[in-house]
Amino acid sequence: MFKAILFTQWKWGRLLLLLATLAGFAIPLLSVQGLTTTYGNFYVVTSLQAFGIAYPLLAGAAGLLLSLSAWTSDHRGRHVYALSLPVARWRYVLMRYQSGLVLLLLPMLGIWLGAILATRFIHIPPGLHPYASSLALRFALSAALAYTAFFAISSGTPRTAGIVLGIAAVLVAIQVLASAAGFDFNLLKPVFDRLFIWPGPFEIFTGRWMLLDV
Amino acid sequence: MTNAIETKDLTYRPGKSFLLDHLNLRVPTGAIYGFLGPNGAGKTTTIRLVLGLLKPEAGSIAVLGKPVPSRVREVLARTGYVPERPHLHLSLTVEESRRFHRAFYPGWDDPWATEQLRRFGLEPNRLLRQLSKGEMGKLMITLALAQRPELLVLDEPTDGLDPVVRRELLSAMLEYVSERGATVFISSHLVHELERVCDWVGVLDRGRLVSEMPMQDFKNGIKRLVFTSPPHLVDQTPFQILARETLDSGSEVWVVRGWQPDMVTWVLHQEGSLREVQDLDLEEAFVELLSSARGGGAPNVGRPTMAAMA
Repeated sequence: MFKAILFTQWKWGRLLLLLATLAGFAIPLLSVQGLTTTYGNFYVVTSLQAFGIAYPLLAGAAGLLLSLSAWTSDHRGRHVYALSLPVARWRYVLMRYQSGLVLLLLPMLGIWLGAILATRFIHIPPGLHPYASSLALRFALSAALAYTAFFAISSGTPRTAGIVLGIAAVLVAIQVLASAAGFDFNLLKPVFDRLFIWPGPFEIFTGRWMLLDV
Repeated sequence: MTNAIETKDLTYRPGKSFLLDHLNLRVPTGAIYGFLGPNGAGKTTTIRLVLGLLKPEAGSIAVLGKPVPSRVREVLARTGYVPERPHLHLSLTVEESRRFHRAFYPGWDDPWATEQLRRFGLEPNRLLRQLSKGEMGKLMITLALAQRPELLVLDEPTDGLDPVVRRELLSAMLEYVSERGATVFISSHLVHELERVCDWVGVLDRGRLVSEMPMQDFKNGIKRLVFTSPPHLVDQTPFQILARETLDSGSEVWVVRGWQPDMVTWVLHQEGSLREVQDLDLEEAFVELLSSARGGGAPNVGRPTMAAMA
């Protein structure tokens, strides 16, 4: 059963998985391009830091798109097929969830291989260390977290997804109106902080995503 | 006689304007049961309740001897289901769809499924979204039958299909039933189609079961009686009057249920003069039955109906 579900999810998400894997492979290589032995540690770290934003963005996008593709076909058929199969609902959902996690290993592998190659291509200045495996692991955890969050939202009814998106849209609209009216008030920042600053659940997306660091 | 499907006082209200009202349905094991009713009568809702896709508000459901929805997984493992609208993953090919479906059914007959798909001319590499309505119907019935189910639930399986495909699908179903002795619960509003294949019939209208009986009784029991002069004591007839119309000539036409030839004697005792007894085909009987039920007649619910015919 799991193999059958994994296959469907692979079929629906293979294009985006391929792109994410290629992007994951390319980002570490691009990040070290042009770095020579003449550069000092500070320049190398700063240069790599500029690419640091690409990893969490890729993790978030991969998690989001894979979670959406996991449910599109079931939503289209109003879940009649899934519900008419002789498997408990919780088990079906779990298998869909697990399939997505397994497939997210592909972009993680892309990043890991790209990071290992990238660190082989350059001379690492003294005092800096490569963190290829840590970077790949962090990517995997972030992608899994994004996938889990969006999977939970997209597995619900369109009404649930509508409520979540509606709340987000209302917050943004209030902020835009408040800014336009000249009020000194930021509604989104506390929400962002709650989500992305420790102990927020998405803290892993922030901070330093470094291929080389001290 | 055991029942493959049995509901007791099944009640469900999907919206403000519709109520499935204390439904007492009994589908005998081994029967081909035609579930008739006009569009919007509640047939699909009933089927979804029976298969545990919806939860009833009141009443009980037992399918293949198991309570639903509490033991629905065991029921679904032994039930083939063809829904009203295609429910399969449309981005898969025919072959992928077969393999996906196979993974969930331990009794799956793969050689049969492969052969049946070949007989139906379904190319393995065709995407499901490229299939015509008829081809999709053939695929769905093949997948349902390859499970080797004890119960086959078909929700308007031939709706919108051309006569050739309709016949192919029904033949595949009948072939399977004759081999395996499975129970079939088939809903439709195409009365003529069910007349040919079913041995039991249940009629649903506006969420109420108007009638349930063997097909032969249903067809034979409803007659149109033409009286030159009608009998007295109309409220004490040994049959049920579904419709009554007085013609300009003073004669009357009655549509009745539960008519037997020996009831002519009763007509004579009541000083009536019966000119003609006409047979109604199933469609006419169906229409008359619905008109009677909607017109505030006395619809008979469940098998006690047959008492009037004894």
